[in-house]
Amino acid sequence: MINFTNVNKWFGDLHVLRDINLNVAQGEVLVVCGPSGSGKSTLIRCINRLEQIQKGELIVDGMNVHDRKTNMTQLRAEIGFIFQQFNLYPHMTALGNITLAPMKVRKLKKEEAEKLGREILERVGLSDKVDSYPAQLSGGQQQRVAIARGLCMRPKIMLFDEPTSALDPEMIQEVLDVMVNLAKEGMTMIVVTHEMGFAREVAKRILFMDEGQIVEIAPPEEFFTKPKSERTKLFLSKILTH
Amino acid sequence: MFLFYLESLMAVFPLFLKGLWMTVAISGLSLITATILGFLAGIGRSSGIKLLRYGIGFYVNLVRGTPFLVQIFVIFFILPEFGIHLEPFPAAIIAMTIMGGAFICEIVAAGMEAVPKGQREAAMSTGLSRYQQVRYVILPQAMRTILPPLVGQYVLLVKDSSIVSVIGVMDLTRVGWLTVQRIPEGMLVFGLVGIMYFAVCYPLIQLAARLEKRMSVGESRL
Repeated sequence: MINFTNVNKWFGDLHVLRDINLNVAQGEVLVVCGPSGSGKSTLIRCINRLEQIQKGELIVDGMNVHDRKTNMTQLRAEIGFIFQQFNLYPHMTALGNITLAPMKVRKLKKEEAEKLGREILERVGLSDKVDSYPAQLSGGQQQRVAIARGLCMRPKIMLFDEPTSALDPEMIQEVLDVMVNLAKEGMTMIVVTHEMGFAREVAKRILFMDEGQIVEIAPPEEFFTKPKSERTKLFLSKILTH
Repeated sequence: MFLFYLESLMAVFPLFLKGLWMTVAISGLSLITATILGFLAGIGRSSGIKLLRYGIGFYVNLVRGTPFLVQIFVIFFILPEFGIHLEPFPAAIIAMTIMGGAFICEIVAAGMEAVPKGQREAAMSTGLSRYQQVRYVILPQAMRTILPPLVGQYVLLVKDSSIVSVIGVMDLTRVGWLTVQRIPEGMLVFGLVGIMYFAVCYPLIQLAARLEKRMSVGESRL
């Protein structure tokens, strides 16, 4: 579903992705972790071309992402992207936020889009917040609306860029619950997160990145109990002790 | 003597009303055209097309770097050399549109830039086209930042319209100028002219202040 072949990316002189080779199968849940600045956000932002790559090849759903001829609007419509800061549209209600793209990109009629929107808001447990503006919602609720906004496009892939890092601790679980359900329904997901409980529960593989490279990639059991690299051990000892 | 002048001023008062009407017409019309031009240019300035961005940047700098009086002279006196003849009124509208458009372009571009970049990324990620991103996500949010200085720009436009009197448009300033040659009481004549400009501008100033206040209240709520 997602294929990285020798992908390289620079920000000026900074080499942020080094020879990334990675395959993510349909229905797989991949958790990406690593210290800040390791390139993990950049890795997933390349998938829907929020960032450009300079070398290598990236194929998503059969389309070459960094080919100029690729219809990016069409590809992006198939990929839901969840941001750390939610990025809801503050001038629209929850329903307005999630029905905009279905109406404008998928060309659904207003009633169809709203019906779909209400269904999906119910799925993320927010059927009572349909008409609320983002400023009236808690962080956890905002992030769930953001997930609903992604789901409303019926995407094939969902990407999560530290979806719980900006949340108060008591709101993290409600967002993770939604993500766990999604994973169990068979969505292809790449999740940048340090929520290791989540990783253990739903990840098929965990990827550890450092300095723009993939250091280790393994199923959760193996990743937590017998990591191969010293760098991974050190990282795990830091995040698992508290 | 003063009373005599006052009386003769009253006699030509209808002329002042006509001048006022011309001033309102010129600034009102060019306010609309300058707003359209300014928004198009401002949106174009944030587009991905490099040539368009540079072109608009050049236009804005050219207008900002030359006096309005010179711009009017170029349009009214120099264009005819190239076979383009314009009556004073359309020449005035064109000059005001070009000048106002450049400043409004800057206001619009700044307003769009003030919208957090995550908003564009979110819109982009859901597959909205560039036009749709601007139309439904960026511009509605940018309007909060754009409106107060935009109305402020309208005030400037009304006042700058006085300069078009140099090419013979019978606006308020020109009426004052012609009158003062017959009634040599500058204080009185231009006092009246000033009051009339103020009567047009003051409501706009109030509106700008009110918008500014409302926007800042709205912002603190977010």
